[in-house]
Amino acid sequence: MPDGGQPVERTAREEAVLATLDRQAAAIAHLRELAERATGDDRALAWVSLAAQLDRAVRDHQPLLRARRLEALAPDLAAHQSLLERHVGAARAAVTALDADARRAAERRHGRRIAVIGKGGAGKSMISATVARLLARQGRNVFLADLDSSHGTGFSLGIGTTFAELPPEALEEHGGSSYGWRLASGLLPHQAVHRHAVTGPDGVRFLTLGKIGDPAEQRARRSVVALRQILGGFAEPGWDVIGDLEAGPTTPFERYHSFADLVVVVVGPAWRSALTARRLLPIVAGTPTIIVTNRFRDEPDHPGLVPEVRVPFDPAVAEAERAGRAPLDEAPGSPAMVACEQLVELLTGEQDRQSDREVVP
Amino acid sequence: MRIAVTGKGGAGKSTVAGALARHLAGRGHTVVAVDADPNPNLGLCLGLPQDAVEHMEPILNALLASGHTHNDPRPDPEELLARYGMEAPGGIVVVATGKIERPSNACLCCGSHNTTREFFGGLAADGRIVLADLEAGLNDLLWARPGPDDVVLAIAEPSAKAVEVARRAVNIAQGMGVERILGVANRASDGDVAQLAEALGVEVLGVAEDPAVEKADEQGVAPFDLDDTSPAMADIARVADWVLASAPAEAQAAPAPPR
Repeated sequence: MPDGGQPVERTAREEAVLATLDRQAAAIAHLRELAERATGDDRALAWVSLAAQLDRAVRDHQPLLRARRLEALAPDLAAHQSLLERHVGAARAAVTALDADARRAAERRHGRRIAVIGKGGAGKSMISATVARLLARQGRNVFLADLDSSHGTGFSLGIGTTFAELPPEALEEHGGSSYGWRLASGLLPHQAVHRHAVTGPDGVRFLTLGKIGDPAEQRARRSVVALRQILGGFAEPGWDVIGDLEAGPTTPFERYHSFADLVVVVVGPAWRSALTARRLLPIVAGTPTIIVTNRFRDEPDHPGLVPEVRVPFDPAVAEAERAGRAPLDEAPGSPAMVACEQLVELLTGEQDRQSDREVVP
Repeated sequence: MRIAVTGKGGAGKSTVAGALARHLAGRGHTVVAVDADPNPNLGLCLGLPQDAVEHMEPILNALLASGHTHNDPRPDPEELLARYGMEAPGGIVVVATGKIERPSNACLCCGSHNTTREFFGGLAADGRIVLADLEAGLNDLLWARPGPDDVVLAIAEPSAKAVEVARRAVNIAQGMGVERILGVANRASDGDVAQLAEALGVEVLGVAEDPAVEKADEQGVAPFDLDDTSPAMADIARVADWVLASAPAEAQAAPAPPR
């Protein structure tokens, strides 16, 4: 009912979309401000990070522009698109103006965004938490998010079931959001991480979903949208982001990995673990993947699944899992931990290779 | 009788469910095995060949392929069972509720959990055993909604993570009024069994760590078919004893009380 200057009635869904656009605009304005203010090497890094985040934002915005259910928002969606385009233009100009060495150095410092998937029990949490800590030990800033509605990542990180959820003030109820809850208005993703993420071993910043079976039954449902909003919008220059997804195909199907520029598929020795990986790959098609074999003894590789890293079976890791402690603390230097270090080298080295061959937009 | 099998991913839900179904079928019971995991692979543990498991068409996928839409009324579970059930060794009928295989499998998102409820609660359970192997984690247990007449098996391997998930599963099941709850300590030593029993506060049976199961897993065959008398398979026979003893009336195929 847009006539006569009447206030426009929005559905809850439309309101939720508008709020998302506002939050994204504010998060990008924050990154833009960082880029404008930064000096020296940090300046190159900040522009490279902004450019990467804008790529994601533009990509994520396209389906909204085409969504028939959002026709009423057409002017708002178009305005958001041109806002993104203006930022893209500025970021592209700034990145192009960098000399090649400065750009390469910035891209090395620019963080990885990694989603970890696989069958239950394959070793997703062990690999996510160990890689997060090893990256942090290199002096990198790391944000680790546990997207599983059951406890797991915290044990592998070394903090067990220590409370690491978003507190109630970071969440708000909203009928238009999936599950009826979202990140509180006015709370930007980087603020949520800085204020609410627990600082774990080696300085890894950690947030987790609420868990099913907690006394407050709805905690998992309340926090899932907010945590995904944080992952999607958190693009602080120089931060690595790792998301440890729930077992199996449901969360990749729901695009929990959409924040990531790389998906790590963890495969155990069982035939069913390989079957799961074969089923997961088409679901995450469109995002680059690497395969990591875990608890490897000397089996032949699963057909069609060529691992980049083989994390060997390691009794010391099994013992740490039994006790619910971090393998990195219980079994430092063990063969599995050495393989995780190789994975970290691959993850950070891969970046060099990409920057060698890719022209940043 | 209805049995729901739950626990952390990788704890051994399908291994226990598959072998339990074979043991029960071997004792003359009619068994309907429901694979509620959107990554269905229970068939393998029941003894179906790899190719059949890899390419099996679950109910929701088959319905969608036949032109069924989101808004059409879903056929009765018994009819779906007759239409899409596959026969596994031992005369077991197995159905998978849904398989996520493409980013565009619309419907499965909201469908697969609902189907779990339909197939756990909606299939007649008098004179036969409906055994559901749930998705990893606890979400599917909330959807399956077992009640006072049902059996819940909470499977854990000896890791702090798996024990924590099983502990929560027991609490949830108790909250739903389930009385017959058994913890299963998989790949366990005697010490692990005692530890799990203490953590869960319910009776726990152990399933031994067993190289034969590991070998079967690696090869992609049912442990029961590789060696049905291996230590783990013998332990699962004791789980079958417990399940049957927990419901003496139903074990004699008496009609189930109304739900």
